Amino acid sequence: MYGIQSRKDLAFEYHPQIQILRPSIHARRANITVKFQDLYGFTVEGNVDDVNVLNEVREKVREQGRVWWALEASKGANWYLQTQATSTLKTSLKLSALVNGITLKKLIRKGIPPVLRPKVWFSLSGAAKKKSTVPESYYQDLTMAVEDRVTPATKQIDHDLPRTFPGHPWLDTPEGHAALRRVLVAYSFRDSDVGYCQGLNYVAALLLLVMKTEEDAFWMLSVLLENVLVSDCYTNNLSGCHVEQRVFKDLLTKKCPRLAAHLDSLEFDVSLVCTEWFLCLFSKSVPSETTLRVWDVLFYEGAKVLFHVALAIFKMNEEELLIAHHIGDVISIIQRSTHHLFDPDELLTVAFDKVGFMTTTTISKQRKKQEPAVMAELDQRSRRLNSVNPDEKR
Amino acid sequence: MATSGNKNMNAKLVLLGDVGAGKSSLVLRFVKGQFIEFQESTIGAAFFSQTVAVNDATVKFEIWDTAGQERYHSLAPMYYRGAAAAIIVYDITNQASFDRAKKWVQELQAQGNPNMVMALAGNKADLIDARKVAAEVIPLGTKLKYSSSNQDMSKIVVQDRKPEAQTYAEENGLFFMETSAKTALNVNDVFSEIAKRLPRLQPAQNPSGMVLMDRPAQTPATASCCS
Ligand SMILES: Nc1nc2c(ncn2[C@@H]2O[C@H](COP(=O)(O)OP(=O)(O)OP(=O)(O)O)[C@@H](O)[C@H]2O)c(=O)[nH]1
Ligand SMILES: [Mg+2]
Repeated sequence: MYGIQSRKDLAFEYHPQIQILRPSIHARRANITVKFQDLYGFTVEGNVDDVNVLNEVREKVREQGRVWWALEASKGANWYLQTQATSTLKTSLKLSALVNGITLKKLIRKGIPPVLRPKVWFSLSGAAKKKSTVPESYYQDLTMAVEDRVTPATKQIDHDLPRTFPGHPWLDTPEGHAALRRVLVAYSFRDSDVGYCQGLNYVAALLLLVMKTEEDAFWMLSVLLENVLVSDCYTNNLSGCHVEQRVFKDLLTKKCPRLAAHLDSLEFDVSLVCTEWFLCLFSKSVPSETTLRVWDVLFYEGAKVLFHVALAIFKMNEEELLIAHHIGDVISIIQRSTHHLFDPDELLTVAFDKVGFMTTTTISKQRKKQEPAVMAELDQRSRRLNSVNPDEKR
Repeated sequence: MATSGNKNMNAKLVLLGDVGAGKSSLVLRFVKGQFIEFQESTIGAAFFSQTVAVNDATVKFEIWDTAGQERYHSLAPMYYRGAAAAIIVYDITNQASFDRAKKWVQELQAQGNPNMVMALAGNKADLIDARKVAAEVIPLGTKLKYSSSNQDMSKIVVQDRKPEAQTYAEENGLFFMETSAKTALNVNDVFSEIAKRLPRLQPAQNPSGMVLMDRPAQTPATASCCS
């Protein structure tokens, strides 16, 4: 009687039923896969344990919500904006700003409640400030002005619309496609060096789901590319991304020397799996709530967060990876792990407590150090290719 | 003849080609036997593995399906480095994708492994009406069978008038097939033909250093009996 179908039905309103299922060794042994929609409408496939984890995560999200509301009640609605003390402030105010700052950093690492995300992201990332420097109608004027223009970027965007989270109940509708198109096309005109780079479609799509309005998603995308991430991450030959990969390799060697040496001996280049993480900001690799928890911290603490999280993924799987002897096994260990990262706290605890302290300044120094090598490598490649295709030069 | 230790080998294979040529779709068809109308665009690259049997041996392909957008090409060396085989994919309905394929061939010839087995796949062969590359070729159809594993390769390509791509492939030492990820036409065949051509499975030739053996030097007994 209890075939796969009825298990699936259970999964939809899983709360009480799954609690009963959990202790059942049979259910675990059978390793039944259930499909259901997560908080943001993505179809998730997981086993019974994953469903349980998601339930716990939902409960924690609710708890976090209560903490934030309590703070709003005691400190005022926009208390989190009063964290940057200016020197003109009186000492007592400075102190309270400092306290707020520490509280806020901790709170954000524990997760911003989904209902507050649009508002908190928008102010803390700098998007609100960016928007305030241009006329109110900027986004509307821009989208109208470029509506009918056809460029290589717009062609590529059109090609990718149905290929961005296909099957999502809103993104994969004419309305969703149109909204995503406007955001990406507008951005491609705002910064013609970036134009459109594949990968941004996933980032912008997730921003749309969180921010609810196109215009806010557009500003979040702008602040992300222009202020939060390393520059040239998406331009021309992705040089910024190459830099990040090299910095990451050095960090891995420093933080997980044994693992780095082992992967080296397998001739496994970590960029093989990390490139997608850095370009899609994990949106294609880990479950949506976990991605957004990473973004919560990303928008407040900056791009160094990506290194923390990427290191954490390797660290969490260190033991298993050390006994893997084949590139294929390494990749499947990592993929299995990332797809099942339903518990954001598990990841972020490792990312911040176990990976250890890193400052934005040291990361910036590392980047500076790597830049010349990246430029030389890219330059060498393009010269080699030009000598292969001599007519290309003209 | 072939020792048991030599029967199973791993081979790194990379797919290169223009955006939307159908690289991911070909891999999905080969690995899972499926076709999805809207395949997510690939960022960086995706990894798959699949084993094929050739004669009495098996080849486990470790497949890197790369991203097609121009700016991602700077990442390509990481994926083709050390590859034993490459499939260069173009879309038969898109001339620019054929031009792009030629550039990949040149790049691989210039800096890839000289023993690399290269295949040129003209994909979306089901879209006959929209064909742009080698339009004068006799329409595909009755002569072509799906999954023609025991079919002579020379019959797969229409012989009367050679399409542009066929000529190009011959001149550059590639083998050529038109494929369709949608109908499964020639998809398995491309991979098994590559498997057959891999140096290690041809006793006459020296094994390429690029082909990784599953169990290297584990069979001393059989090694001596072959001399
Ligand atoms: N009719 C037809 N359509 C195909 C075929 N192969 C792929 N397509 C379609 O072409 C589009 C692009 O296919 P993908 O497999 O994503 O192309 P890709 O080369 O991996 O593209 P990138 O990852 O962006 O580089 C999809 O919408 C597929 O459905 C085919 O053999 N026939
Ligand atoms: Mg693809």
